[in-house]
Amino acid sequence: MDTRLKLRTYISETFFADGYSDQASFLKTGIIDSTGMMELVAFLESEFGVKVEDHELVPANLDSIENLVAFLGRRSAARPAAAAG
Amino acid sequence: MCGIAGFTLPPGSPPDERLARFGPRLRRMTASLHHRGPDEQRALLLDGAALGHTRLSILDLSGGSQPMRDPATGLTVVFNGEIFNHMELRERLAHRGYPFRTRSDTEVILASFLSRGIDCVEGFVGQFAFALFDPRDGSLWLARDRAGVRPLYYALTPEGLCFASEAKAIFAAGWLPPRLDPAGVKQTAHLWAPLAPRTSFEGVQQLPPAHVARFDGVRLDARRYWDVDLSAGNVDRDLDEQEAVDRLGAALGEAVRLRLRADVPVAAYLSGGLDSSLICSIAQEQLGGTLGTFSVSFAQARYDEGEYQHEVAAALRTAHRSVRIEDREIGELLPAVVRHAEQVLLRSAPAPFLRLSRLVRDSGIKVVLTGEGADEIFWGYDLYKETAIRQFWARRPGSPHRPRLFQRMYPYLQLSKQSPEMLRQFFGLGLEEPGAFDFSHRIRWTNSGRVSRFFSAEFTERTRDCDPAAAVLDALPPRVLSWRPLARAQYLEMQTLLSGYLLSAQGDRMLMGNSVEGRFPFLDHRVIELAARLPPSLKLRVLDEKRVLKRLAAARVPQRVIQRPKLPYRAPIAEALTGPGSPAWARELLSRAAVDAVGVFDGAKVERLAQKLAARRAEPSEADNMAVIAAATTQLLARELLGPPADPPRAQLEAVRLHAEAR
Repeated sequence: MDTRLKLRTYISETFFADGYSDQASFLKTGIIDSTGMMELVAFLESEFGVKVEDHELVPANLDSIENLVAFLGRRSAARPAAAAG
Repeated sequence: MCGIAGFTLPPGSPPDERLARFGPRLRRMTASLHHRGPDEQRALLLDGAALGHTRLSILDLSGGSQPMRDPATGLTVVFNGEIFNHMELRERLAHRGYPFRTRSDTEVILASFLSRGIDCVEGFVGQFAFALFDPRDGSLWLARDRAGVRPLYYALTPEGLCFASEAKAIFAAGWLPPRLDPAGVKQTAHLWAPLAPRTSFEGVQQLPPAHVARFDGVRLDARRYWDVDLSAGNVDRDLDEQEAVDRLGAALGEAVRLRLRADVPVAAYLSGGLDSSLICSIAQEQLGGTLGTFSVSFAQARYDEGEYQHEVAAALRTAHRSVRIEDREIGELLPAVVRHAEQVLLRSAPAPFLRLSRLVRDSGIKVVLTGEGADEIFWGYDLYKETAIRQFWARRPGSPHRPRLFQRMYPYLQLSKQSPEMLRQFFGLGLEEPGAFDFSHRIRWTNSGRVSRFFSAEFTERTRDCDPAAAVLDALPPRVLSWRPLARAQYLEMQTLLSGYLLSAQGDRMLMGNSVEGRFPFLDHRVIELAARLPPSLKLRVLDEKRVLKRLAAARVPQRVIQRPKLPYRAPIAEALTGPGSPAWARELLSRAAVDAVGVFDGAKVERLAQKLAARRAEPSEADNMAVIAAATTQLLARELLGPPADPPRAQLEAVRLHAEAR
């Protein structure tokens, strides 16, 4: 399953939301609330094996499907480099 | 005290015919309110009206029976509540020649009405709902206290109008089939309660707080007789802090003094917070050391305030009793909670109050003082701080520093680790419209509104045109729109949450469910009016709430209780309704088929939600907690109150002493 579909499935099963665009802000549209954001982070850590640092808890990384896909993309691109360094 | 019920009927029929035709209805209505008045149940069929009353005897135990008639005019009243200044009113009315026959406050209502008509309510200091039948012109009058402490429902019937303290008594009359009002349910999902006069039931209305109404046989004309003035022009700008503390001390002392008036012992609730501690301290002083106090504590440490409750009880030397609630018990209590509350709930917090009132009743106590109302009128709730910060931030929306204030305000929300950008997404909703009427409440209403995501497609479609926030705006007096943001916030809070939820679902109903009367010193209208005149900085200064109240409490209540961070009163939800220890009713009613059969929620979504919460993979989110309790209580409402009403138990029906008068 590709990242986008995996995220969408998770969000529909966990937050019971559907019919929203890839660009829609989870927080502004009410798809996810402040406590739900913590659930999302826990999911990213367990499902994608990323460790989300405190300074990364920003809307630009987490607050829409598009932002999440880009964030996960950057992290997986960074991992081999980090391992090499 | 008490429950009231009744209806209008066509005039001109002889007593036996009335008894045969309307007696059984009146008996069922009265008997269905037995819990509100287990001490005595009487009902009277007059030429033109039927009046029923169930009595919790608190004042003039031998002489205060109702319905009560004025012998000269036939004016007849049924009354639920208290007129606390009845002694002062009686003295004046007796002086003018009214021949009092009892010591009750009920008779003071009759005498006051005969003296000045329905405007008599303006002279009452109290918490009341009453119905008056005036045979001189055939009018039925309804009235309700200023804050909405006592409930009053009504519905149109083929014969005219019927009314009662609870909707179940209206259904017991048999004219109206109990059905959910979709707009009332949708409003509850956003605002936490239906917006008066709307209720959860189709065809049933409630008289809004601070209203009187006259039914002339055809129409019901309601009007507001009191309102709080929170305009800037009403503020006493020159009042210094010491003077404010003194005045508040005097007003609150008087409010407590009047509320200790009873012919039975009066005790108090002690939550462990500032407000109830202050009330207990004043009451204990006035009683000379005989006050009994009652608390509820939680097995789950995160909800529990037992430590503070014991500290205050020890410091005030009250005779203290408390009951400890397990998660499981919340689930077990909910069917009775919903049966009494008669509305959908977004919180489980009423359940512990039903348990607490049982402890009070089992201890032989009928009356308790509570600290409810202070957070509304002295701006204690986080909602006020949040509004103040958001207003401050809206003046410099680009500021990265201003939203950081939220981290100081909500240390328990895990916000401290979150960035200003994230805070902006949480709290920035509506920031571009600082003048909007719902600026203060938009975040809360949006958060609660997530519940509607779980509605069935059909219910969503049926309620498409119902906009809860727009309904609030429509009902708002235009002058409120010109008030300052925190004043507007208080008005909205009093219009929606206070009377619609805190005083009813979590107040009157949970108390009367075990035949206990609550009394609310902070909601004495003179205290509300005094608070409205205080300069805003004496209520909330930056993040320091209820300043004037804290100053007043400083000499009376342990310092640690005054300085402690405010903990919102909450009770477990997901833990109580899902998973291994969940009650059988929840497993049954939250199943896909059962939810679909009621039709408000989507069975598949609710089932998945229940499964998700039962798995306990993560801390349940606010949204999930609210959705699962809303679905569960909707299901309970359908099971407990919809469908043909069951007759009250035979013994309770027979206990009603029914009688018909010639005129």
